[in-house]
Amino acid sequence: MSPELTVENREEVPQWLSYGAPVGTILAALLVASVPLLWLNINPISVYWELFIIQPSTVSGFADVLTTALPLFFAGLAVYIPLKAGLWNIGAEGQLFVGAVVGTTIALYVDLSALLLVPLMVVAAGIAGALYGAIPGYLRAEHGVNEIISSLMLTFTATTFTGYLLRGPLQGSGGQSATDRLPDAAQLPSLLTPRLHVGVVLIVVVAIVSYILLNHTRLGYEIVFIGSNPAAATQAGISTYKVYITVFVLGGLLAGVAGIVEVAGVHGRLFEDFSPGYGFTAVAIALLGRNGVGQVLLAALFFGVLTAGGTTIAVTQNVPSALVDVIVALTILFLLTAEFLKDHRIGLTWGRSEADPQTGGSQ
Amino acid sequence: MASDPLLEITDVTKRFGDVVANDKISFSVDRGEVHALLGENGAGKSTLMNILYGLYSPSSGTIRFNGEPQAFEAPKDAIDAGIGMVHQHFMLIPRMTVLENIVLGEREHTATGDGVVDRLKRLFGRDRAGPRKRLSELAEQYGLAVDPSAKVWELDVGEQQRVEILKALYRDIDLLILDEPTAVLTPTESEQLFETISTLVDEGLSVIFITHKLWEIERLADRVTVLRDGIRVDTVETDSVSRSDLAEMMVGREVLFDIDKERVPTGQTVLSATGLEARDNRGLPALEGVDLSVEAGEIVGIAGVSGNGQRELAECLIGYRPLTAGQITVDGENLTGAPPRKIIDSGVSFIPEDRYAHGCAETLSVMHNAGVKIYRNGELDNSRLFLDYDGLESYADSLVERFDVRGVTDVTRTPAGTLSGGNLQKLILGRELARAPTLLVANQPTRGVDVGAIEHIREQLVDQQKDGTGVVLISEDLDEILDLSDRILVLYDGAFVYETTPTATNKWELGVYMSTGSAPDTDEQLIPEAQ
Repeated sequence: MSPELTVENREEVPQWLSYGAPVGTILAALLVASVPLLWLNINPISVYWELFIIQPSTVSGFADVLTTALPLFFAGLAVYIPLKAGLWNIGAEGQLFVGAVVGTTIALYVDLSALLLVPLMVVAAGIAGALYGAIPGYLRAEHGVNEIISSLMLTFTATTFTGYLLRGPLQGSGGQSATDRLPDAAQLPSLLTPRLHVGVVLIVVVAIVSYILLNHTRLGYEIVFIGSNPAAATQAGISTYKVYITVFVLGGLLAGVAGIVEVAGVHGRLFEDFSPGYGFTAVAIALLGRNGVGQVLLAALFFGVLTAGGTTIAVTQNVPSALVDVIVALTILFLLTAEFLKDHRIGLTWGRSEADPQTGGSQ
Repeated sequence: MASDPLLEITDVTKRFGDVVANDKISFSVDRGEVHALLGENGAGKSTLMNILYGLYSPSSGTIRFNGEPQAFEAPKDAIDAGIGMVHQHFMLIPRMTVLENIVLGEREHTATGDGVVDRLKRLFGRDRAGPRKRLSELAEQYGLAVDPSAKVWELDVGEQQRVEILKALYRDIDLLILDEPTAVLTPTESEQLFETISTLVDEGLSVIFITHKLWEIERLADRVTVLRDGIRVDTVETDSVSRSDLAEMMVGREVLFDIDKERVPTGQTVLSATGLEARDNRGLPALEGVDLSVEAGEIVGIAGVSGNGQRELAECLIGYRPLTAGQITVDGENLTGAPPRKIIDSGVSFIPEDRYAHGCAETLSVMHNAGVKIYRNGELDNSRLFLDYDGLESYADSLVERFDVRGVTDVTRTPAGTLSGGNLQKLILGRELARAPTLLVANQPTRGVDVGAIEHIREQLVDQQKDGTGVVLISEDLDEILDLSDRILVLYDGAFVYETTPTATNKWELGVYMSTGSAPDTDEQLIPEAQ
């Protein structure tokens, strides 16, 4: 007798499961993550309490969550919108970098009042990100080049080139690979509390606009149709060419804006590691939130809590900062597994063992 | 023991939510029997077979196979027990070769030695020579010729089906389930399949044959089980019933096959295509100089064996496939090289050959699919930017109502892919016809749909013609071609080889042109020479 694991497709997903799965898996991830915490003699409950309850409920902690969620949300949408059309934009990070570089350059070299300078920086960063995003979109639409590869490779190009600029033309007086501090006119003013910049207003605007775009416009209809069956869409007169480029342009635009908002709103200068991989976490956010813009926002806020709070608990609870990354990674891993569990029924049975292992049956 | 049935299904019930797809169905299949399963689309035939094949688990009821009770958890269990199935919608991986598809999931290596190399081969190796040899033996034995190294996406529907049958045969089975196998075959190919089935049965296999073609049952089956609305109507010996009895059992009412067709006076040319040349997916010439003109209110039937350029012709006419030469004019407007959108806007509608791959977005709602041809037109209360989803919903409701699409609970929620084949086809037909097109290109519009839906679809086509639409009807069903067409063209090897009218020809003559490309070899000189 030996245990046998059976996996079968669910014919329909029960309602409680589609809502319960994300919550349950987050709890499971936290449970597993408590093992290394216990091993380090740290009380996981107090860590989680601090992380999820105490921190976000302070004014500055909440401000941090929002400002961290902003780039995560925008970059998440930069992945999510192309995903709706069936394309993978793995290059949100690169588009974010390009937006940050172009916006920073304008901030440093254009002398205008804040009222003109900030919008100019944001618009220019958005356009730069959009153009950079358009490259994989165009290559896919015109030549059928795999957008996963091209967008990912263009990310490395962008981050590496940023590194060069920060040690060359854009290097500040400090001698490090960072620019000078942006002039005051280029810094985003704060809102209500010093840690919160006005950029967070954009979260609401972008959420509403994206929702309307996908659910109430003709373009949204075309995006969704192509995402479901590009061949049928083409035969019905929907241009995949136009839509493929458009979704990448929109994605790049949002990522580019996220880049400059992060620089001008949070750090005040551009340096090499200004983004802790927002554009890559964005892929997980888009996957988690793939049922709608609202879910993307929720996922971004959740990762915002983890990322923002993680920095604090590293100090207050003496948790090694690497462990925070472990929690984040475990959460992503568990959430993706949850998707599988949601769609499949797993059974554990005790039965006779089979002599020869076989690969799964055909379907 | 020998007299025990091979398969015994007792009181099998399957529910999906509130819907009962199978309600206490019982029947048995003897060894060496061809057992037909007859029923309209949505009658529960496919569900029942999917239960038997381990894809679904029954809500209640028992299955005994080879004398033992079975609870298949996955197709693998069914295959191991000796049941093979060829689905209506092919389950092949397009990017892989025929051979790779057939050995997929199969780990048996022909290296049998005890040496280290042979053991490693068995463990990790991908055997090519063994399966290839076995495949060509099977192919020859059952008369199912395919090129083992061709990629599946390069094959036409008929060839893909042969691969599916071979894939099932490859795994030593006792029972083969064929889900509407002839729906995609030409008359000649069907005949070949019937011989294959006879050979299988002679060797002791049993066959369950799902169909809604009544003559096939008479031709092939020993017994037939009729399903209607998820309930077994009866199981009868084929010899003991007439065709109309079966039709009545299946539909629950009398079925009329006569189409009330009148010749509509025509005049104005709606389609004029000259010198069309195009390539197939492999880049080989598929159309070589096709001239086609259609007048308003005319149905031009295009007969031919699948793979002779029908798909390419249809796709060229709607701008989906690029032309390498030739000109297309619709309603006086030159549309050579125009994109699909332009051609659609000029009043051309299209019913594609494969309604799942090309006709709909399976995961999207009926509403999304119903609206794809009108979502940007004046039909809705639209601005250039926004889409009137409320209008789209009521439009979809009206289509569902008007074209009798069943199985839709809420147009905004029911995914198109969950509709049965016939109902999905009615939805597509409705979507294409409701725009009152100038020209309709219909490629195999009634393939794989049940008698009731065929009747409905043909009536709609004729109604449309009466309203002045020009129709290009591409079909392998010669009855359909002969019943509906005003003019018939035979497509062979990428060119028209014969033009005639329904009154001047017959099935036999068309069949000869379809399969040889030239006139029947006969002493009578009554038949005009092609070209």
